[in-house]
Amino acid sequence: MEDPDAPLVERARRGDRWAFEQLVERHQNRLFTLAARTLGSADEAADAVQEAFIRAWLGLPRFRGGSLFSTWLYRIGVNAAHDQRLKRRAEPLDEVREPADPQDSFHVSELSSALQNALNQLDEDYRVAVVLYDVLGCSYTEIAELTEVAEGTVKSRIFRGRSRLAELLGTRTAEE
Amino acid sequence: MVAETHPHEIELFEYAEDELPEARREEIAAHLATCSVCAEQVRQAATGREALRETTLLELPQGRHEEILRNLPEPERSRNEPRGFFSKQLLAGIAALLVVAALAAVLVKTGGNSGMESSAGGAAEATATSGGGGKTENAQAADLFAGGSAEVVAADLQRKGFDASVQQDRVVVHGATKAQVREALADRGPGDVEVVVKNP
Repeated sequence: MEDPDAPLVERARRGDRWAFEQLVERHQNRLFTLAARTLGSADEAADAVQEAFIRAWLGLPRFRGGSLFSTWLYRIGVNAAHDQRLKRRAEPLDEVREPADPQDSFHVSELSSALQNALNQLDEDYRVAVVLYDVLGCSYTEIAELTEVAEGTVKSRIFRGRSRLAELLGTRTAEE
Repeated sequence: MVAETHPHEIELFEYAEDELPEARREEIAAHLATCSVCAEQVRQAATGREALRETTLLELPQGRHEEILRNLPEPERSRNEPRGFFSKQLLAGIAALLVVAALAAVLVKTGGNSGMESSAGGAAEATATSGGGGKTENAQAADLFAGGSAEVVAADLQRKGFDASVQQDRVVVHGATKAQVREALADRGPGDVEVVVKNP
């Protein structure tokens, strides 16, 4: 598969900061979404994203293009988020994008909040799998590569993660 | 009738994603019609999927974006690596010439010519003073000045992959162009440290 990031990656590997800044611009929101949805905290997620980009910048010489740059970057992001979790301090997700339509604001924020609470209760493996697949649209192959498991395991984790999420959302709805 | 063997959850997932061959899909559909346990699993998973897919991308706060760019360290890889398109062989040749030139310059200076800029052995050196009117140029102008001490500026350039050293309170850079050095020093701001670029 041809990597759309390849030209910028090649320049960044040679120390071209401008090229890397374009890669940051291109991937920062997806990486932030991944970190925020898996950590449940905007501040921790932003810290993880910053750490991930620094690791990527310094580690570019070791990136040989065997996978998509985005796959490699998300793997660094997952690891950075995991490291953040280890030094966790409980904070709610407090920074979400404003919806395009202000009339939907209330519903969207409620949905996001309920979903985030449910995501926070999922096992980390399931949470990462469903966010990568259902939120970011990564392929099984990409997820398998960046989480270092077989594609069948990825499918299983997505299936179980979705089911558990629905249970948690249903429970929450019932409680409310 | 309840089927005796439940499909594996991977197959249930593939059924939900419509990834199964038609024949197997029909078998699973027939099973789901009779097995409430599996049917409930598929229904739950579909509910979870719909909830997830209603979410939107979150935007990294702008302040964080700027912080990331501001805090990107200089990569270790650039140290001692050629910049631009020079080959290692060419740079090795340049280095050899510069060694000869440096030795010749030292000899000239110790011989009483310390007030003059020198060039020898094919290496051109250019410097400028901060006074403007006292600018002295040889083959290549190098009116570069940077903030900080000479040691700090040299260390900064070394981190950025340049062959830089402090010589008589100046920073001397070999094997690079003035434009490359100027770009590398852009983030240091103005100052009094004289930077001499030697580029054969």
